Amino acid sequence: MESTAAGLRKNGDQPPVVQYDGVVKRFGSLTVLNGVSARVNKGEVVCLIGPSGSGKSTLLRCTNALEIADGGRVVFEGQPLPKTEGELRHVRQRMGMVFQNFELFPHMTALENVAVGPITILGANPAEARAKAQMLLEKVGLGAKGGNHPSALSGGQQQRVAIARALAMDPDVMLFDEPTSALDPETIGEVLNVMKRLAEEGMTMVVVTHEMSFARRVANWILVFDEGRVIEEGPPAQIFDAPTHARTQSFLSHLGWNG
Amino acid sequence: MTLDWNVVWQYRGDLAQGVLLTIALTVATMAIAVPGGIAVMLMRQSHVRAVSFAGTVFVEFFRNVPLILLVYWAFYVLPILTDIQFSAFATGLVAMCLNVSAYNAETFRAGVNSIRKGQLEAAMAMGMSRSQAMRKVVLPQAVRRILPVLASTWVSLFKDTSLVSVIAVGELAHTALQIRSQTFRVLEMLTAMAAIYWLLGYPQAKIVDWIHRKYGVTE
Repeated sequence: MESTAAGLRKNGDQPPVVQYDGVVKRFGSLTVLNGVSARVNKGEVVCLIGPSGSGKSTLLRCTNALEIADGGRVVFEGQPLPKTEGELRHVRQRMGMVFQNFELFPHMTALENVAVGPITILGANPAEARAKAQMLLEKVGLGAKGGNHPSALSGGQQQRVAIARALAMDPDVMLFDEPTSALDPETIGEVLNVMKRLAEEGMTMVVVTHEMSFARRVANWILVFDEGRVIEEGPPAQIFDAPTHARTQSFLSHLGWNG
Repeated sequence: MTLDWNVVWQYRGDLAQGVLLTIALTVATMAIAVPGGIAVMLMRQSHVRAVSFAGTVFVEFFRNVPLILLVYWAFYVLPILTDIQFSAFATGLVAMCLNVSAYNAETFRAGVNSIRKGQLEAAMAMGMSRSQAMRKVVLPQAVRRILPVLASTWVSLFKDTSLVSVIAVGELAHTALQIRSQTFRVLEMLTAMAAIYWLLGYPQAKIVDWIHRKYGVTE
């Protein structure tokens, strides 16, 4: 499948940004990832879909070693993830991550949240970092909210700040872990719009999501998870309109997806 | 029984000096025991077993020994151990710091543990080292959260400094007790002492409450 798929996929002729080779992850006696292999090409938006507990988020967290894979390996830009914390830091700096619960730093303003990474980690000039943070906040439509603390922002606004915070490190890939699952329905759209614009700018994105219409419209490639495995993968048109795996069909029909 | 309150006014200079020394001892103790408590807390959380064990021993020892015993111990043992003759003030300061650092270590540990794991993960995911994540993300939040606890530690510390009077540090309690034994004005001096401690302690507690309201973080 990999060889035929490679030609179809965006930038499939180039080395992948992220590659998963038989990744296994166990929590105690529970096997959460049971040999997942997949690739993420440059500029692709890869959406991970599937039932809760199927391993999507765990794979995402293995990407930047928030969870350490027990078997197989994760290769980032041609290099397997390093083992030591010190080396991992340098890899993580090139991966932005957006969490389900935003995880903005509540003691900092929105602007400080966005500027803290470059200042603390990259040793950036504070004035320049703040100017860039302001620019990023404008990019996510929150130019006027820089002085607000997270507690004074809506969920959708907080998540957009979180996206700006991740972008401030100029990452090569953005990892989204169910970025809209904790949001009120009326603010989901504003976050998805920011993500869609990011995709249009060519950002490489790995997105764990339950937003099937977003996956359908924005993703270049879909990975369908079930019980710790990728049971089906392909372009959205194929997955959503002509799923071949019975579990994919039942998963999509449970969500009320009818093409 | 006749009361002569004039004695309090008569010795106002000595009492004022005692008050200054009490305040100095409190401030100096906290100034050392806050970073000290953080250091001990970090030791306890170390992945190196010997280091975390040393941190645990520190806390469990100095938290569970009566402070007055620590004061005596510092007075008699410190000069032998270090071969340096400490001033009474420095001796008292060492004893207070050991005790309050142990308390603060536990307070900070509770504060750090109350910050949810996702905050540390978010910082690490950006590429921060563990110590950067602690300094920039976890500790500032933990400190705000434990401010009320540190405040009550501060207020007890302010009163507990009176214990160093047993090694003749000339703070408020020692001064007042000296005046008492010279003038035999027991009731007046003890009452004055209580009034001064209360007058100084109550506003401190109020100020700390105010700091908490102003800087407390809401999520």
